Amino acid sequence: MLDLAISHVFGGLHAAGSGLGVVAQERTGLVIATVMARRGQFSALSWAVRQRYGFELADAATVSGNAHTAFVGTGSGRWLAVFDDPAPGLVPVLQHDLNGLASVVDQSHGFGVLRLSGPAVLLTFEKGVALDLSPEVFKAGAAATTTLAHVSVHLWKVDEAPTFDVAVPRSYAGAFSHWLETTAAIHGLAVGEK
Amino acid sequence: MSGGRLPAGGAIDRQKPLRFSFDGRSLEGFAGDTLASALVANGVRLVGRSFKYHRPRGILSAGSEEPNALVELRSGARREPNTRATTAELFEGLEATSQNRWPSLAFDVMAINQIAGPILGAGFYYKTFMWPAAFWEKLYEPMIRRAAGLGRLSGQPDPDWYERAYAFCDLLVIGAGPAGLAAALAAGRAGAKVILTDDDFALGGRLASETHEIDGAPGSQWARQAAEELASLPTVRLMPRTAVFGVYDGEFGALERVADHLPVPPAFTPRQRLWTIVARESLLATGAIERPIVFPGNDRPGVMLASAVRTYVNRFAARPGQSVAIFTTSDDGWRTAADLRGAKITVACVIEARAEVAPQVRALAGDAPVFLASHVAGTAGHLGLTHVDIADASGRRTRVAADILAVAGGWSPNIGLGDHLGNSANWSPEKVAFLPGGLPKGMIVAGAAAGHWTLAEALNGGSAAGAEAARRAGRQASLAAPYRTGDEPHAVGPLCHYAGGKDKAFVDLQNDVTVSDIALAEREGYRSVEHMKRYTTLGMATDQGKTSNLNGLAIMAELTRRDIPQTGKTRARPPQVPVAIGALAGLDVGPNFRPTRLTAGHAFAKASGATFVEAGQWLRPQWFSRPGETDWLASTTREATSVRSAVGVCDVSTLGKIALLGPDVGRLLDKVYVNRFSTLAVGKVRYGLMLREDGFVMDDGTTARLGTDHYVLTTTTANAGKVMQHLEYCHQVLWPELDVQMVSVTEQWAQYAVAGPRSRALLQRLLGDDADISNAAFPYLACGEFRMGEIPVRLFRISFSGELAYEIAVPAGYGEALAKALMAAGADLDVCAYGTEALSVLRIEKGHAAGAELNGHTVARDLGMGRMMSADKDFIGRAMAQRPALVDPGRPTLVGFRPVDRGRRLRNGAHFFAAGAAILPETDQGYMTSTAFSPACGHWIGLGFLARGPERLGERLHAHDPVRSETIEVEVVSPVFVDPEGKRLRA
Repeated sequence: MLDLAISHVFGGLHAAGSGLGVVAQERTGLVIATVMARRGQFSALSWAVRQRYGFELADAATVSGNAHTAFVGTGSGRWLAVFDDPAPGLVPVLQHDLNGLASVVDQSHGFGVLRLSGPAVLLTFEKGVALDLSPEVFKAGAAATTTLAHVSVHLWKVDEAPTFDVAVPRSYAGAFSHWLETTAAIHGLAVGEK
Repeated sequence: MSGGRLPAGGAIDRQKPLRFSFDGRSLEGFAGDTLASALVANGVRLVGRSFKYHRPRGILSAGSEEPNALVELRSGARREPNTRATTAELFEGLEATSQNRWPSLAFDVMAINQIAGPILGAGFYYKTFMWPAAFWEKLYEPMIRRAAGLGRLSGQPDPDWYERAYAFCDLLVIGAGPAGLAAALAAGRAGAKVILTDDDFALGGRLASETHEIDGAPGSQWARQAAEELASLPTVRLMPRTAVFGVYDGEFGALERVADHLPVPPAFTPRQRLWTIVARESLLATGAIERPIVFPGNDRPGVMLASAVRTYVNRFAARPGQSVAIFTTSDDGWRTAADLRGAKITVACVIEARAEVAPQVRALAGDAPVFLASHVAGTAGHLGLTHVDIADASGRRTRVAADILAVAGGWSPNIGLGDHLGNSANWSPEKVAFLPGGLPKGMIVAGAAAGHWTLAEALNGGSAAGAEAARRAGRQASLAAPYRTGDEPHAVGPLCHYAGGKDKAFVDLQNDVTVSDIALAEREGYRSVEHMKRYTTLGMATDQGKTSNLNGLAIMAELTRRDIPQTGKTRARPPQVPVAIGALAGLDVGPNFRPTRLTAGHAFAKASGATFVEAGQWLRPQWFSRPGETDWLASTTREATSVRSAVGVCDVSTLGKIALLGPDVGRLLDKVYVNRFSTLAVGKVRYGLMLREDGFVMDDGTTARLGTDHYVLTTTTANAGKVMQHLEYCHQVLWPELDVQMVSVTEQWAQYAVAGPRSRALLQRLLGDDADISNAAFPYLACGEFRMGEIPVRLFRISFSGELAYEIAVPAGYGEALAKALMAAGADLDVCAYGTEALSVLRIEKGHAAGAELNGHTVARDLGMGRMMSADKDFIGRAMAQRPALVDPGRPTLVGFRPVDRGRRLRNGAHFFAAGAAILPETDQGYMTSTAFSPACGHWIGLGFLARGPERLGERLHAHDPVRSETIEVEVVSPVFVDPEGKRLRA
């Protein structure tokens, strides 16, 4: 029986220009799951999440969560749950905990999550995102499912620095990287340590 | 040399001289110049040849409305034809070349067209080249093509790149003249989000071109201070060099010329940026464009708009000529005389079409001779103006020497953008102009664009509009004190034109449309303005008739004895200014035309010698070349043989994978598939066929049941998105009562087909002895979840090749490692990687339908799957599939084919005919969909649809390939060429 080596999604992302404008860092080691409420079970699910994780689950385009967990609203009764300090076997546990209340599907390898920050992050996003991400409109905790360079992505705002996370479908990482490297280079793109 | 640089003044930086060239001649200008102003300052008056008659042409205007001064900029791959010299910002080393002339600008052979003028009138190409008909293709068309068009493309790939961007604001101010600046200041000071765009590189509009004062200071100084203040306001974004070119529902298109003013874009900088601006409100502050006056010889180099003369003198300190005559129908034109006198340039005379003017207007001319109630009846000069012929009301002629004739025919508000959503402008006889009528929602208009001609009106109107917009956006806008400035005289005479005499009187300089062309259009019945435009080409091309439309329709109005509103006007459509295709494409060019999707095993495949093929957005390995293999067929044949004899590994990650969960998944699948899935046992896989509502086959694939409430459905690569959309539609719209959740897991799992008689042995090595994948424990169509160490593995015993085969899936992060592990573990089993070509060979040998057969024209029965359609349940497409034509036993049905002469190659797309039958649609019996060289058979084989096919095994037919004009005799056989009993896949 052999163990296989893991490949990161954004291993091919390169720094460009001065590196002073945007910092991109792949968030590795995450557990990601699509959580979909069973029919008519949102209230019960919300209760279960409060009991289990201690936060209020919002059925909206926002991020609910705590220090290590983010439930990103991606549609009605639907979340991309992102855990950054996962216990082993987290998804089966989640499936068990939410059994009958939500369907939980492991997507840990389906997305690469890039954390983007730096003074030019908004100037870069405006060259791809057709949404108003200005601080008075898109506040920390806001989330959007949108297209960026023809790639469907989930993006959410982590803090008002501003810092954003973008979940990119794995197979599109190269196309996304091309967009990011090209549009951020003028401001300077740094790629953080994995 | 007539022109030159004035000793002082202007918004140019005399400390920064710039070298440039025009037609190879080295010249010098300054930072702050346009190419046109630098040419003027260097005394260059002849800059191009006209489109049709190749008449010498100079510079008419100083803005984006320029019809004449179109040049080629730069050289090599960056050569850019039809650039308006009036908007091209000068840079060090700029190379400009005149166009539409041969061999030189001063001596152009094609100027002979002027002699042929009578046969080159409006619509000449419809008439002149009609006879003899045989000449059209061989002579006329090539001849016209050679003569037509302006400028030349480089013919090389564009070395620069372009990008797109989005912006949002409370108020978009289009135009940074006095009205726009005042509006942006009022709104920006109140904290509103403002975007201020201007086509020009300097903000201020005509303030730098005129000698107005605002609050006691020169207007140009006020503009600079306003721009500085705006730049300091946190909610204001200044976008110079940006032209708003279109108004769309809820948004605006704008083109930012990021690096057009530089020799080469700096590192990481796009050449241009295409903006989509979403604005709560917009202010049209685009000013007005001065109208030329139509008179004989009005196209001679040296005839220039009076406003442009003032721009060159005041803004660029460039002297257009030594002696300037002024021909005006407006008070505004007289101000040119005052400005010229101020710059110590001789005013040759002022020619006024009106019989009288106000005394303070008359005073502007100073001592210069004045001709009232007069007009220009002709001009003279070889390649540029030397004299002006003036006719007074009595017809008396006077010839005046002048090298520049400044013409001022009144102003037309530049409101094309207001038309873009279908609104139209209203004619104002008082203002002699079209003014904005209905405007797009949220758009207001200020300044000269609204027909408010004076500076005070522009500033105070703009300021009020900006403050109101800020208030509507929820900001506190305080009332600003009105700006103090003069109320300049602005009376204007009626529209007029003068024709007759020897020389042509041009209406549209860019398209060489004359007064007589409009008269011809009228005589031939093209009297509607839209017909006139298309017949004469008036108002077409890069300038879109900004200086010609109103004069043209006024002439048509007069000819048809109608007034202007009765005559109407053409509606402006986007783009308001030319937009390069490259800017529209943005980053989506070349290999990035659309996003490319790569599987987790891509790098492994690349390292293994794969040639890739596009499958939708995916790149899939097509075959893997090995040393000594010279073509795809050799590699494919080796791979297919290897699968049949040993084991092969194929990346099938691109197939759509949809996880379906919830208690009602079986019920949903029963409705979308023709066959039943609710009865599928956990741990089993079933092939399913999905129909469209109209009864035709939509897609196929296998669905595995991993748990009571958990299915994984696969789709073809091509239809993954469509099937997901279909399932969502079925669930959300048709059967929302079903408790089903679904999500694509295509990205989560890397999946490989492991096929061939040694596939079990290979997988056993990877999964370890604890995993029982024996035929008894894990038979054909079994599925299960295993582990490789800590890694979850899904295994499906399914086969597209007809061999003992599995598909193994791991979380995609391990996909590359799994591919390597399979190859390493199978080295002594003669494992090989195989691509889509071998995959196709294997499935054709097995008679499995794929994309070529699931082509949107076929029903289940055509594919030999009629009996899969469940009779005891309803499903999408069931009713429509029962239509008589779809159950006709004579329909072409899937069968196999082989060449009677086994050495011949079969071709996809060949049609079947009885031997000796005529090749006609009526005798057509079907067509070949898939062909391959079968290593198992040792010859080419094919799949296709043949009328009553399964009843005709053994029959011989002709397969006619109309593309290659080739007919081959084929024999109808079973579509299953290999292992018809299915022993291998159950082994």
